[in-house]
Amino acid sequence: MRIGEVIETSTVGFWAESERLHQLPPLGALVAVALPDGATLYGVVAFGQTAGVDAGRRAVRRGTDQVFDGAIYDQHPELLRILRTTFQAITVGYAGPDGRARHHLPPWPPPLHYSVQECDRATVAAFTEAPGYFAILAASEGEVAAEQLLAAHIRCVYDRRGRDTAWLNAAGQQVARLLKRDYDRLLTVLEAIDPGVEKYEVQSTKYELGGAANGSGGENGRAGKNGYGDVPF
Amino acid sequence: MVGMNGESGSPHRWGAGGGAPQLGVVIGGSFKNGLTVRLDTARSVEAIQVGNFVVVEGDENRYFSTIADLELQLTDSALAADPPPISSSFLRAALAGTHTYATAEVRPSLMLEGTDDLVAGGGPKPVRTIPMHFAILREAAGEDFDVVFGAEGDGKFALGSPLTMDHPIPLDLARFVERSNGVFGQSGTGKSVLTRLLLCGVIKSERASALVFDMHSEYAWQKEGEGGSRLRGLRELFGSRVAVYSLDARDQGRQALDGTLQIGLNQIEPGDVELLADELNLTPTFAATSFSLQQRFQERWIERLLAMDGDAVKDFCAQSGANQGAVDALKQKLNLLTNLPYIVPNQGTSVIDEIVLRLQRKGHVVLQFGRHSRLLDYMLVANILTRRIHRAYTDQVLKYDQSGDAADRPHPLTIVLEEAHKFLSPAVARQTIFGTIAREMRKYSVTLLVVDQRPSGIDAEVMSQLGTKITGLLTEEHDIDAVLTGVAGRSHLRGVLASLETKQQCLVLGHAIPMPMVLRTRAYDEAFFAAMGGRAKPATPAERDAQKRAALADIYGEE
Repeated sequence: MRIGEVIETSTVGFWAESERLHQLPPLGALVAVALPDGATLYGVVAFGQTAGVDAGRRAVRRGTDQVFDGAIYDQHPELLRILRTTFQAITVGYAGPDGRARHHLPPWPPPLHYSVQECDRATVAAFTEAPGYFAILAASEGEVAAEQLLAAHIRCVYDRRGRDTAWLNAAGQQVARLLKRDYDRLLTVLEAIDPGVEKYEVQSTKYELGGAANGSGGENGRAGKNGYGDVPF
Repeated sequence: MVGMNGESGSPHRWGAGGGAPQLGVVIGGSFKNGLTVRLDTARSVEAIQVGNFVVVEGDENRYFSTIADLELQLTDSALAADPPPISSSFLRAALAGTHTYATAEVRPSLMLEGTDDLVAGGGPKPVRTIPMHFAILREAAGEDFDVVFGAEGDGKFALGSPLTMDHPIPLDLARFVERSNGVFGQSGTGKSVLTRLLLCGVIKSERASALVFDMHSEYAWQKEGEGGSRLRGLRELFGSRVAVYSLDARDQGRQALDGTLQIGLNQIEPGDVELLADELNLTPTFAATSFSLQQRFQERWIERLLAMDGDAVKDFCAQSGANQGAVDALKQKLNLLTNLPYIVPNQGTSVIDEIVLRLQRKGHVVLQFGRHSRLLDYMLVANILTRRIHRAYTDQVLKYDQSGDAADRPHPLTIVLEEAHKFLSPAVARQTIFGTIAREMRKYSVTLLVVDQRPSGIDAEVMSQLGTKITGLLTEEHDIDAVLTGVAGRSHLRGVLASLETKQQCLVLGHAIPMPMVLRTRAYDEAFFAAMGGRAKPATPAERDAQKRAALADIYGEE
């Protein structure tokens, strides 16, 4: 499913603009760009934001005592025009036309304005079978700390793979290998992905959020605590 | 099992070691201190035991090794200070292998070169090199044991199996009987079963004759073992090939003995008495006194001494310069000997000669002590008999050296000696006949099988002469030291020795086995008796008589 369009691209990753405002894949989700030669490039969502289309203008408060949250968007339909949601993905590998996953950087960045797709379960399962690409995430130097990104990605994939414990254990070991020189960072990741600790019930598969795009705001009930439906824009 | 039997006749090459499970990879080490192996995380370190026989597959050679030590490692010391929460098995699993891992210290003992052709007889050799990094350590497979220890068969007697698998590990009996050997272990660790097993192996293979000084009358006929099991005796297993003599005439009525042994005072020499110094509480001057008595009266010295009255003693002292008090004391102490029922004033050597002859004719003898099972009896009789044997075998070897006739070649003899530290303590080992045998009688085809629970009480020189040592659990430091004297890789064997189980486990090292090995001792049970060709049940009296006649005919020729 098309969820965005590449608006900035480089060898190590790309920025995409979401199809609809406030609708972006969760942190750590696997996304794909179909390349013109039949290959597929895979990225992991590393950052997301919603801001004004005009970078020079900051958003201003629009709520009143009576109108707030989702209702603001109903009151100000122009917001859909002047705001946009973008997300950044780190390229973690690609699959050639033969479909075989390769956990290293592709030779070329994805073309600008190509579609960014969300990956279905089968694709996620196939690409993440071996955790070799974790190294790329662990070395990332974006806005989000590498260990947070790794943890978010592992949680997403674990969920997408139907709570595959064997995969999670292998992933844990791979992270331990990558962060063996920094026990504190390692512990941060491991504790965040420990299935024995029921602290993350983030439904990473339900990232199709409700919200301003269909004008229903926070009232459609789909935007829960972890959704973005009640983000005050 | 790739190519181990060299079907094609080409030099032996190997595959993956019969698919034996991989344990880890070599990550360091030295020739001197052994290899360090990083153990695979997939297997719990608890599945591996110190002393296990393992194989390292080098590029060129295969190394037969022993696990000498196990160690836990951390890559990050922070982990030690701040261990992961105990409740999280996930965290522990994730850290295993990267932050926490185990290493094993592995000691290669033997190696098999890749070019060795097993069919052509190229067997494992002592190690002279070490494998490179990341050589694979794996469990030993049956074929590895066969390559190193040989298969059970002619001259190869299986004493037990390795702890990790059920595979017979044989001793090379030809090498075993070449030298004196020792069976050690704390009380209750199965020395007596081990000794029986060894004797069975020796007797069955006919590699040597055996003479057992059976202090507690337990080797000839079945005896209740620990836990109520019946330990079948050698006589029952091997029939007339094992002759039984007793010091106790009363045994004759109960069991079918081949003879009763009596000792004449005329057969006792000062050296025999010297050995009894502790038992008889003799003063240090007795040696000089008894030698001057013997000089004067030759073999009747004790008889004459005991017959002396006060004046005769004075006369003797005046003539020989001996101290009168010492002579009196010696007389008093030796008087004790005359009270022993098996001591007679004068005795020919017929029974002793018969025993020696049986041994020389490849027979086996168990000498029971019956109710005379005090150490005094044991030491006196064992010493006198062994002195006689020593003389006979020395003569025979001289004869063989002169004639070069194969028929004159003496048949090896092994003498089983219990409580050996009494005969071989540093104080007496240099004088007693047993010390002599332990040190040099290999040349004369007579060796000892020393059975003792306190090896530290045995003279170090004698210990160092022992070819093969088989030892059960020892915990006393001195005893462990004594057993491992002169053994390479002592430090790791020390750990192995102290960690043996009290039952049915022994460490075998030395001449008769290519490398030190911990064994689960073979059971001395009906299956074993069957393997030894023993009869299912003890013989009837009629059969015993027939056997006895056959045995006598064997010695003295047909009537």
